Amino acid sequence: MAQGQELNVCSSSASPSSEDSNPCPICLAPIFRLSYLDKCFHKFCYKCILQWTRVVASKQSDPSSSVKCPLCKTDNFSIIHGYDGCSFQKHYINQDSGNCFVLSSAHKYRLQCYYTEPGFLDDIFDASRYWKSFKYLQPNCWLQNWLRREIQALMQEEDVDIIMHHIFGVIKSLMSHKQKCQTITYEVKQREFQEAISDAARPFLAARTDRFVNEVELFLASGLNIEAYDAVCIQRLGWSARGVTTEATAEGEIAEHRPVIPYLHSFDDFDSSD
Amino acid sequence: MQASRARLFKEYKEVQREKVADPDIQLVCDDSNIFKWTALIKGPSETPFEGGIFQLAFAVPEQYPLQPPQVRFLTKIFHPNVHFKTGEICLDILKNAWSPAWTLQSVCRAIIALMAHPEPDSPLNCDSGNLLRAGDIKGYHSMARMYTRLAAMPKKG
Repeated sequence: MAQGQELNVCSSSASPSSEDSNPCPICLAPIFRLSYLDKCFHKFCYKCILQWTRVVASKQSDPSSSVKCPLCKTDNFSIIHGYDGCSFQKHYINQDSGNCFVLSSAHKYRLQCYYTEPGFLDDIFDASRYWKSFKYLQPNCWLQNWLRREIQALMQEEDVDIIMHHIFGVIKSLMSHKQKCQTITYEVKQREFQEAISDAARPFLAARTDRFVNEVELFLASGLNIEAYDAVCIQRLGWSARGVTTEATAEGEIAEHRPVIPYLHSFDDFDSSD
Repeated sequence: MQASRARLFKEYKEVQREKVADPDIQLVCDDSNIFKWTALIKGPSETPFEGGIFQLAFAVPEQYPLQPPQVRFLTKIFHPNVHFKTGEICLDILKNAWSPAWTLQSVCRAIIALMAHPEPDSPLNCDSGNLLRAGDIKGYHSMARMYTRLAAMPKKG
């Protein structure tokens, strides 16, 4: 619902021409989750401008409470987002120790899985058997939590419950079509599952959707709970157990104050100029 | 990584569409690698680089556009802010003044502007910078002109 409202705002408040003519200056795609800087009112995708403020902060030894607009260099102190016609939210630059989302090491390990070749667990978990033997008719009580963590890691946002419930709902409704499952082959069912999740997740996960579908299927096929599944993955990836699963949801990682943006590891190279 | 790809693809489409719009810049993406681009830019008029065609090489990082592309001249150029041997460019927007709103196309424009307006106080090519700082405009022009002729202009038969 919120999604739809935002899109309406986006197209009605912007110029009458199509959204495409007014793309986000950072990703150059149509603006997703419209947000404004509070002084110059330049528009960006919420995620794009937030990521940029974090990049800027990561280069400063003492992150300032303002960010220069990428377009006009005006100093801005907050990002206005979630405007629904009468109310909006404000995200203050670098004042976010409390509400900004810090990826836990469990999130990071999940993200790293996405950098491996797909199929690295195929010999352990047999997805086709899961479909052949109608195992999918048994509800998986860990799925919601697993989905939440996965989406949090991929979107690098904490509050993903709407998306999680959306995808969970799609899975649940698929798995409960008992009357049909006798008449169709397991391959059809499997493809149906993949297409439905792919459609549900793509608006949020974009290019990572296909791999995400793959990972959801594997997790379901494994029949394991989250801890056991993580243990298998981590072992296969060959990482020494760094207590990844035990402190999965621990809030105690405040030492790691700065949010992790997994792509940004080589910034120091660019600081040499000063 | 995916974000950078998506954005580069958008730029690629934009470049295809705008080709006629900016006759001074020709941006080409590597056939097999969207993170590698080359550009041909025309030396700005009323500068010693006029009439020359300069080739630039772009290496785009996976974190683009949060990180700037690395750009260097492949064509030899005598300019205070370009390293004479490596072609490295000293330009603030390619370093700490980078903004993700820049595109490869607008970076090319910035480099053309830098060619026309050298900054002799932060030189990568000291010989060139010193000529300008000493006020020897004529010396600078003739050196820059010579290298433009040698390296950036098609040989006349």
